[in-house]
Amino acid sequence: MARTGWRAKRGRKAVAAVVFAVLGRGLVAAARLDERVRAEAASWPEDTVITLRIAPFGPQVSWRMGEGVLEYLGGAQVTPSLAVTFKSVDGALPLLVGMKSVLGAFAEHRATVAGDLALAMSFVRCLHIVEGYLFPDLMTRRILPRPAERRAGHLVAYGTLVFRRARLEGASS
Amino acid sequence: MIPDYYEFCNSTKIVSGARAIEHIGYELAALGASRPLVLTNAQLLELKVATIVIDALADTDAEVAGVYDAVPVDSSAAVVDDVARAYREAGADAIVAVGGGSVLDTAKGAMIVLTHGGSLMEHRGAESLLGRRAVTFIAIPTTAGTGSEVTSAAVIKDTDRHVKMGFTSLSLLPDVAILDPRLTVGLPPRLTASTAMDALTHAVESVSCVQANPLSDCYAKAAIGLIRDYLPVALDDPRSSKARLALANAALMAGAAFSNAMVGIVHAMGHAAGGVAGIPHGEAMSVLLPHGMAYNLDVACDRYGELLIDLAGVETHAATPAADRGAAAIGAVRSITALLHERTGLPVTLGEMGVQPEQIPDIARAALDDGAMSMNPKQPSYEELIDILKGAL
Repeated sequence: MARTGWRAKRGRKAVAAVVFAVLGRGLVAAARLDERVRAEAASWPEDTVITLRIAPFGPQVSWRMGEGVLEYLGGAQVTPSLAVTFKSVDGALPLLVGMKSVLGAFAEHRATVAGDLALAMSFVRCLHIVEGYLFPDLMTRRILPRPAERRAGHLVAYGTLVFRRARLEGASS
Repeated sequence: MIPDYYEFCNSTKIVSGARAIEHIGYELAALGASRPLVLTNAQLLELKVATIVIDALADTDAEVAGVYDAVPVDSSAAVVDDVARAYREAGADAIVAVGGGSVLDTAKGAMIVLTHGGSLMEHRGAESLLGRRAVTFIAIPTTAGTGSEVTSAAVIKDTDRHVKMGFTSLSLLPDVAILDPRLTVGLPPRLTASTAMDALTHAVESVSCVQANPLSDCYAKAAIGLIRDYLPVALDDPRSSKARLALANAALMAGAAFSNAMVGIVHAMGHAAGGVAGIPHGEAMSVLLPHGMAYNLDVACDRYGELLIDLAGVETHAATPAADRGAAAIGAVRSITALLHERTGLPVTLGEMGVQPEQIPDIARAALDDGAMSMNPKQPSYEELIDILKGAL
């Protein structure tokens, strides 16, 4: 049985914050390594800011796409064009640790979307690709809609995590 | 079938039956409203369909604040903003929407703007609108298809991008839905058929989607049974109040089902085809339903198999081996569409509706971006969508 109480809740939020940091840099890394992420991000309108957060007090992670560059903004306070908000940390955690799919979380009403749903669909496709790099096949078989196709190995992907920005060829600017 | 987690909400009061509209004064008073804005379109006024509601309102304590009759077939964000302006200028305190899906969804869009301010485009999203709604809303459908009178969803066209935008929020649920057979007895056969196929698609997709739950299943299966029993009756005898009321209830129940379980690939492709090629939604559903089911069959065979009893009857269900029932359900849908093609001219291909082969890539791309796709039990690639759409062409 999951622990309850504020200590356990704080622990879950700490785990979520770490995963957000990895996911935040992971999306940028995937944009460097994988032309599918580059193509998706390049289709986003100029100055798009996407935020993934947990209600009501965070943590959160954001990215900005502008001037042909996809940038990791960390937990900075921003005004997002698209906000995906988990209703609780308990609803977010199974997804963040690779036990539940992104679409499964939406199916269970764990998250809300504020913004253009077409942009949200594009973002979700990017998350699927990022998850393919971050998680082993044992997990991706359960959480991705189709087997993960990687353009680079896990080690290369993790090695690319240090970057905060990725320039996207063909992006609108 | 019991999911690990689900949510279900249907708070709308249903008023269904002969001369049900005559209770509108009571319903408005019960909700504390007295100055409704009637939202409809010019054709429904000309056909004296909306007039039935306006006449009923004349015999109540309520005072009609205005009649907005400029809702087009495919409503847009601009129309929604204009309705909100008309509501404010008229000093209205309720919306009575009389029409098909476009009119009802326009009312929902206007409620978003009236409650949250700004323009509709600022409030796009899913489940993100919080707080109590500022507008009393009575929905009176004049077709038996969309089920919008009990759904938490609205579809409104973005005319700049030629895409249909989906909005979902429990605050979009009407306070009251009134089903009165007088409003649908005049529907021509082809429209009767296409709207019924829209309702059938809601029901079938709600059962196979990943948000399906025991309550939505009940609504969906009951809706399918009513369509199977009463669509032929309505085609044989269009003035049959019983058949019209049954189809209106079927559409409502299918609406309640998909409002809580969502729709999938068929609607994603249909929205996309509507946006790109401008084809009527119900006819698109009729054409695409068997193709979407065939794509999903390997992951939804058991779920479709459960529907065979409602689609084709007890005898067919009993005579079909369990493993074959999913495919037989698709066959039953194809039989229905073939029958409707023969009796009403309802198309069975996208080509018959004027979709051109060169439009297929745009439709496939838009379908991938449609929110409905996210709830389909299987996520197609772009190439798979191209194949499905070419198969329907």
